[in-house]
Amino acid sequence: MSSPAPVRTVQICRSCGGGAPVDVHFCPQCTKILTLGRHGDYFSYLGVPRKLNLDIVELEQKFRSLSRHFHPDYFYNATPAERRASLERSSYLNDAYRTIRLPISRIGYLLELEGFGTTSPGSASKEVPPALLEEVFALNEELDAARDLRREGAPAEGWQERLQRARQPIEAKRDAHELQLQELSARWDALVDANAGDQERRAVLGALRERVLERNYINNLLAGIERELTT
Amino acid sequence: MSKVVGIDLGTTNSLVAYVQDGVPVVIRGTGGDALVPSVVSAAVDGTIYVGREAERRLLTEANRTVYSVKRFMGKGIEDVRDEARLFPFRVGGPAPTAGEDGPGAPESKTGVVRIGLGEREFTPPEISAFILRELKHRAEAFFTARGEVEPDVDRAVITVPAYFNDAQRTATRDAGRIAGLEVLRIINEPTAASLAYGLDKKHDGLIAVYDLGGGTFDISILRVEDGVFQVLSTNGDTHLGGDDIDLLLTTQVLEDLARRAPGPRSPEAIQAVRKAVIQAKVDLSERDETEIVVPLDSGAAGPGASVEPTPPMYRSRLTRAALEALIAPIVDRTLAPCRQALADAGLTPGHIGEVVLVGGSTRIPLVRRQVAGLFGRAPHTELNPDEVVALGAAVQADILMTGNRDVLLLDVTPLSLGIETMGGVTSKIILRNSTIPATGSEMFTTAVDSQTAVDIHVVQGERELVADSRSLARFKLRGIPPMPAGLPRVQVQFQIDANGILSVTATELRTGIGQAIDVKPSYGLTDEQVEQMLLDSFEHAEADVEARLLIEARNEAESVIAATEKAIRAPEFAEIARTELAEGEQKRIASVLAGLKMVLGSTDRETIQKWTHALNDATQHLAEVIMNRSVQGALAGKNVDDVT
Repeated sequence: MSSPAPVRTVQICRSCGGGAPVDVHFCPQCTKILTLGRHGDYFSYLGVPRKLNLDIVELEQKFRSLSRHFHPDYFYNATPAERRASLERSSYLNDAYRTIRLPISRIGYLLELEGFGTTSPGSASKEVPPALLEEVFALNEELDAARDLRREGAPAEGWQERLQRARQPIEAKRDAHELQLQELSARWDALVDANAGDQERRAVLGALRERVLERNYINNLLAGIERELTT
Repeated sequence: MSKVVGIDLGTTNSLVAYVQDGVPVVIRGTGGDALVPSVVSAAVDGTIYVGREAERRLLTEANRTVYSVKRFMGKGIEDVRDEARLFPFRVGGPAPTAGEDGPGAPESKTGVVRIGLGEREFTPPEISAFILRELKHRAEAFFTARGEVEPDVDRAVITVPAYFNDAQRTATRDAGRIAGLEVLRIINEPTAASLAYGLDKKHDGLIAVYDLGGGTFDISILRVEDGVFQVLSTNGDTHLGGDDIDLLLTTQVLEDLARRAPGPRSPEAIQAVRKAVIQAKVDLSERDETEIVVPLDSGAAGPGASVEPTPPMYRSRLTRAALEALIAPIVDRTLAPCRQALADAGLTPGHIGEVVLVGGSTRIPLVRRQVAGLFGRAPHTELNPDEVVALGAAVQADILMTGNRDVLLLDVTPLSLGIETMGGVTSKIILRNSTIPATGSEMFTTAVDSQTAVDIHVVQGERELVADSRSLARFKLRGIPPMPAGLPRVQVQFQIDANGILSVTATELRTGIGQAIDVKPSYGLTDEQVEQMLLDSFEHAEADVEARLLIEARNEAESVIAATEKAIRAPEFAEIARTELAEGEQKRIASVLAGLKMVLGSTDRETIQKWTHALNDATQHLAEVIMNRSVQGALAGKNVDDVT
């Protein structure tokens, strides 16, 4: 415990007191499972690059392989410290896999990791993203008209059709966003491969963040229309 | 080393299994029966009966007998009030304690259900513990008979429906502890079933497990690859199963009976109807038509009944088509959860490579047709759907004990976990279908200056509002350092372990102080209560052993009586008595038989055993004669029944 290890690169084995690189899971000296103390991010923990286009088959294999190493099932007869370590490492592994398995939550996690704050759907701003002002304005007019029709007791087909029509431009916008996200993701990966500088990286991340927030806003709008249609 | 077993603690029947030389095997009772009916009955003298004997007592002592207790696990009285009327036993709850909590928390005033068993009251985990103890004894008797050096069973894997919530899982684990078992693991029934099928050995792919049991329905979608059974999604209904079919049929027959013979029905008469309709339901899985036959006690028949030769019987024909029309809505209710589970896994029916059926209710042809229709393929039915879950539990127990890494189960939490936030809205912390173990965390702070405690309400479910969700527990964070409002930063960590059971820890981040947490489970028992129940059960353990020996003695006596009476009633007995029995032998048999029947009801085990041995001795010669005649009959090419 006394060795002045460089910050964030070493973890300490609670079983033998030895040091270990931050991204290994078992002590190189005594081979015991390491308590989840100082640890890497989800990407490094799973042993995959911090990129947005991941080889999903490789990711699944790593997940299964690490599960086979950590799972509490295999530590039933181990010491309490090892059992706790197994529970902590398995939980973190599952959280990591769940978070970076799907592209959109992977982007959200990368943004958080790189200091761009949360982009979770719950945190979506109530303010209309500037890029969407036009579409949202048009949509709200259609929504009001449809609601009026409904209140006046118009036949369902009438206002339902208006709602369906109203969401078409928004859906088109969403499809465009998906493409932009893919394109920005590819650019990020290229920057990682090229070991590019901080400024370029931040520009791409900033653009990603804007697209994700707009996407959240669009999804909320569409969910709102869906609710009006089904209730 | 003491033995480790897998237990399927079912709504209708329970089983115990273990792994022998790498192969899971169900442990049978002395009569060869694998199933222990999940029924518990209390005699007036306080003796507790479990299993077949208790099931028999439903027809004679209905209101002293408890069945389907699994439906009450982890429940509060307001959950079960409607349903409780349908059972012959008493279901109640603790009296409301006033002024305990603020408004908006009505559920915290009820707590866990109490069930009347004879003169005493028990919680559902205690009733379940009686069943678990019976299974433990069955396994120990089996290991003893095999000459094992250490036949004791003190550890088990117990299965639960995949869709069980935290309270129901915790109640199951508590039941194990009260029964004196260390519960190695709670695993999900459909997942256990897939283990038993050894589907990993066939090929990798996607599996749907459809589990319709006595009281619960589960659907789980799994991916199997390299020996890893990874559950992708699960869904279900913890209140849907064969019980509902039995109830529909029972109600129909009772209405019919009321028309034919009006008058009140005793609980025993209702149980006789229930037994008859269950038999009819089972018959109709094999046949197109059957008859529901219920013996009517004279009291129930009433003055309006038609005059029939004794004993009066209710008879009614039932076709498979009529049954299917009646139960179609129940079967249909299983389809929406299947579709939801597929959607949650991001799959369509066409992706599914194998479909596995689990649970006795999947013997119903209509269920099989519907499942085959939904998934577009014929389901697996090779293994006995009643036994497959216990076999899987035994496999899992073996993995835990041996550390065998060939197979790994990765299950999910069936319901989202959340906490109550401002305005009674649920904030989700761990989403449903997350692989377990899983963690989540949330930051809390204080609302007023120098506040040192914060209340946290944990709920489970998919709904937006706390009022629509299942309350799990209330936690009180204490010992927060006094600071201005909003300054403390208390990080609360939620951990769901591999059993699907929640634990909570908290740290104040500014000071790094771990926070004390008081847990108040909404529908569960505190650790202290469980400990007390365990102690109580130890106190009763000696009485339990005596009760068990008594039951065994009675069973043995009953089988000797039955064999003797059968011999005496046989058509050839008169001839045997005349030609082969010594003088007075017949008379002695009759008097010993009468004597044993007289002492059978007593609680004096030794007397029962003495008379049983006496009857055995008295009939030994007769048995030899019958045996000889049957051998001779067989030699003469005749069946013994034909020899007159």
